[in-house]
This record gives sequence, C-alpha cells and structure tokens, in this order.
Amino acid sequence: MINLAKKDIAHTLGKFIVTSMGVGMLLGIVLIMIGVYRGMIIDAQVLLNDLKIDLWVVQENTLGPFAEPSRLHEDMKNTIKVTEGVAKSEGLTFQNLQLPLEGNEVRVFAVGFDPFGDISPIDSTKIVAGRGLERDHYEMVVTDKTGFKVGDKVPLGRDVYSVVGVTHGTVSSGGDPLVYVSLKDAQALQFLYSNARTRNDRERGINALNSHMINAVVATVKEGYSVDEVADTIRTWKHNSVYTATEEKTLLTKNLIKMASKQIGMFTVILVVVSTIIIALIIYTMTLEKMKEISIMKLIGLPNSMIIKMIVQETLLMGVLAFMFANIFAHLIYSKFPKRVVLETPDALVLFVVVILASILASFVAVHKVMKANPAEAIGG
Amino acid sequence: MEKNYAIKVENLVKHFGKDDTLVEVIDGADFSIEKGELVALVAPSGAGKTTLLMMIGCVEDPSSGTIWLGNEKVYENKWLTKETRKIRREKIGFIFQAHYLIPFLNVIDNVTLVPQTNGVPQKEAESFAMELLEYFDIADKAHNMSSELSGGQNQRVAIARALANKPEIILADEPTAALDNKRSVSVVQMLKKIALDQNVAIIMVTHDEAMLPLCDRILKIEDKKVVSEVVSENGGMI
Repeated sequence: MINLAKKDIAHTLGKFIVTSMGVGMLLGIVLIMIGVYRGMIIDAQVLLNDLKIDLWVVQENTLGPFAEPSRLHEDMKNTIKVTEGVAKSEGLTFQNLQLPLEGNEVRVFAVGFDPFGDISPIDSTKIVAGRGLERDHYEMVVTDKTGFKVGDKVPLGRDVYSVVGVTHGTVSSGGDPLVYVSLKDAQALQFLYSNARTRNDRERGINALNSHMINAVVATVKEGYSVDEVADTIRTWKHNSVYTATEEKTLLTKNLIKMASKQIGMFTVILVVVSTIIIALIIYTMTLEKMKEISIMKLIGLPNSMIIKMIVQETLLMGVLAFMFANIFAHLIYSKFPKRVVLETPDALVLFVVVILASILASFVAVHKVMKANPAEAIGG
Repeated sequence: MEKNYAIKVENLVKHFGKDDTLVEVIDGADFSIEKGELVALVAPSGAGKTTLLMMIGCVEDPSSGTIWLGNEKVYENKWLTKETRKIRREKIGFIFQAHYLIPFLNVIDNVTLVPQTNGVPQKEAESFAMELLEYFDIADKAHNMSSELSGGQNQRVAIARALANKPEIILADEPTAALDNKRSVSVVQMLKKIALDQNVAIIMVTHDEAMLPLCDRILKIEDKKVVSEVVSENGGMI
C-alpha cells in the first residue's frame, strides 16, 4: 500500500526538514525555559547542601538570611553552641559584591565564614584549583564562573585580596557565582564604616565601631537529639527565628523563586501554544497547497481516511522531528547561558507527549479542510 | 437493464437553486451507452456537460431520475449507496483536461494508487500498471516524477491511471483541450482502441468537432435535453 505521507515528504524533504528545524528551535527554547527553572531550584540549594547543617538561626521575626535581611551579634554563635543538643555552630555573613575583572564588573555573592571554625560552607570536593581559606585576612576562594584564577589580586573595599582557590558549580540562590572570604573580612566589608563616617557618627553620639555582626548562625544537632526540639528550644529561649535545613530549602525553592517559576511557567505555556499554532499553520498551508491533488484523490475514489492519515502522519512526523531538533538545539546551547540550565529526561518526555498532542490538535484544522474539499473542484481550472 | 449497457440514465433532472433562483440544467435526460462505445458529449459552454458527467460519475447529486452503472442501479431519486466514492474507485476511470497526476507520486505510484486502495496487492497492481505503461509506450518512465515528463507523456500516464482499476466506464472531461490537433487525434484514437480492447464505455466531453468523426456516437445537450446522434461514415452527424 502506498504511504502518501512518506511520498509527499520525500518529494519536499528539504522544505519539510527546514520547517521542522524551525519549529524545533522554538521547542528547544521551551526545553531551555524548563531547564532554567530546574537550574534555579538546584542553584537555590547549592549553598544549603554544601553547608551540611541542621539549623539556621536568624534575626527574630525574619525569614533571613536569603529571603529577608537578618542581623545577629557574632557571639550568638557561642550562645547557640552551648545550647543542649547542638553539636557545632558557626556565624556566617552573606552579601552581594561587584568585583573588578579586566575592566568589567563581576557580580558575586560573598559568604563570610571563620576559616578556623567548625563549619565550612566550602565543599572541598568542589575545589578544582588551589585550596580553601587558611588565613583570617585577604584571602578569597572564588567560583570558576567568575573568571578569576588562583593568584589573581582583587581590590575590594580598602584592601586587596588574593585568590587562593577556585571551586566549580557553586552559586547563590539567585544564580550569582559564590566567593568565600573570612568572617573578619566579610564583617569589615559589610559592617565597618569609613573613617569619615565613623568620625561623623561619633559627633552624632553614635558608636558605630561594632562590626562584630553576622547574618545567621548555622548549627548541627548532636546525634540522638531531635532537630525540631532543638530548634524549638532556641526559638523559645534565645529569641531568634530558627529554621531547619528543610524549612530553609522550602523558603528558597518555594517562596523565593515562586514568582520566577510562575513567570517561566507562563513563558513555557505561551511557547507551547505558539508552537502548536505554528505547526497547525504550517500543516494547514501544506494542505492548502495540495487542495487540487486532494480533490483529485477524492474524485478518483480515495477514501477520506487515507487522505486524513497522510495529513496526520505528516503532522506527527513534523512534531517528532521538531522534538528531536529541539533536543539537539537545547543541548548545543544550554551551556552558553550565564545561569545554570538543567535539561532533564523526564521534562523532555513530558514535552514529547505535549508536542504529540499539540500536533494531533494542529492537524484538526487541515483535516477539516480535507473533509470539506469538493471532488468536483478537480474538474476544470 | 439490458446486459450490455455500461451506463443507462432515465429521466435524469438537475437544477440548481430554488424558487426564483431555480436554474434547470438537465431536464429529463434519457440515454444509454454500451460497453465498448466511445461517445462524445457536446454542447455549448455552460449547457451542463461537466454536470452531466459528474452526475454519472457519482460526484454531483442529481435532482431526480435514475442512473444505472453496469448492472447496478446507483441512483433513484437518491443515492442508493453511501459509498459513492467506492463506486468511483471500482467502476469508473477519470481523465481530465490536464493530467492532474499527484505530483509527489512517481508514474507507477500514480497508476497503482487506486488499484492498491481497492486492495489489489502491490506486485499485482504494479505488474498491470507496467502492462498499461508499455501499451502507452512510456514504460521507461515508470519511476519518473510527472514533472520530468512532457505534456503528452503525462496525459498518457493519466489515461493509464484511468484504466488501472479495470473500470467499466471512463469519463473524460475534454482530454484533448490542452493538446495540438495531431496529439488530440492520437489520444482519441487511443481512447477508441481502449474502448474496444478493454470493453469499456467512454464518454468524452469535447468542444473539438474534428474529434467527433472518431467517436461512435454523439450526445448533445439541446434545450436541457440529451439528444443522441449517430456519426455517419464520412464523419458527419445523421
């Protein structure tokens, strides 16, 4: 039996492939959008996972330190440390910085921590060059995405820092590359005012010299103790807000990127709808171009089912080809995006199902046209 | 119905519109065509030649009357089968003014499309198609696309396609309109030979009076009636 779709496609193979590639690029953007969303979720958890801690202690009545600003006195880490059930605790600071690099500015998210403390936010397995922090001052570990190399000198605030280590794959919840500095340097950068400002504040009667602040205390819980119970104890007696690691993850993944994910979801839906309309228009146009032949086919007695099968097969094949091109396109370009893009097979499979359904939907318009075609129109003209 | 008739039409009526806009095209046509006959259908433009052809071809709905195709009564004030397309596919071959081959199919596929749709195995359909293409002297073009053939070759392929389903009737709508006189004569002579060789009834719509002497009989549409005329030996009408 002659397969009309196969013959028709073979007749205009180049046009069919180029058209499928065009639709594929559009669907590739859909895959990238989904990948951006997946990347945001993973990025949001990088720092949390690297810290491997059980509790986040932040300023009372805040959702800090990422969702809302939070300030604590540095000695709070000692108070937490002696709370029953707490194994280790450390103070951390977080701030956005712009680092100068070859005439440009690199936006980074700086984490300040005590290099000699019990908890380090640097996962040693992620260090790809150099080492971690070993001094209290003027050392910096950077993420490879910043563009800095070991040995680079980075002027920051009043001082110049040396890059002593490079990590890979460490980013903030916002997708900015992470840099790590000592807690003392971070406090100076965030809380220490200039000499002029200090003099001015003194004249006003304000003592602004206290820079021993931190943004959060992180802690691990001893084996045998309930994380929730220890959290409750700190919440009740130390007058701080406390979040478990799971709650903090929820704050980041559900709350912080909620709007962004909605935005991306909207874009994705719109792109899928646009792709469906484009496939429908292409198939409709292809069908219009063949209306004379379709009338002839009906006149010489070919059943509608055979002609509709041709249209639907062509549409489905276009959908499948477009999906394949979408994957190739997405895999070729995803690494070029400044922020993390994660392409996952389940997402691609869902898109495949959507594309197939969209293709079937898209073929309806053309099929309707075929059903309406009058065989008598084949005569004359 | 008499056995040898391929087509028999009784009191066939066709009108378009209704009330004030009613236009009668055919008013009570009565004629029959035997197997092996080549009949020319002539009339001025707009007189209803193609409409009559399409009613016999089960494409256009008549307003009333009866149509027999072979031994089967297919229309009596309504179509007696829902599958008029199946009748076309199995009993009728169509030839048009232009070749109207399916451009994305090669010659052999164009010729075997309808037989294969009728359930004839591919090899059998192709074997018969090759016989037809050899008959029309275009077997060497079997795997060419129609765009690679001349106008005359394409028209021969179209005739081969019309014969591929071994029809009882061939309806030819001005098959020589796009051809020069020499080729027109050749095509009509070919149709005449087919009618005799394949025992097929052929109705050919034509405006070309030069083709009439080559036909067995002429059907004329005059005042909405169909009149049958016999062609004299010297080519004139009796």
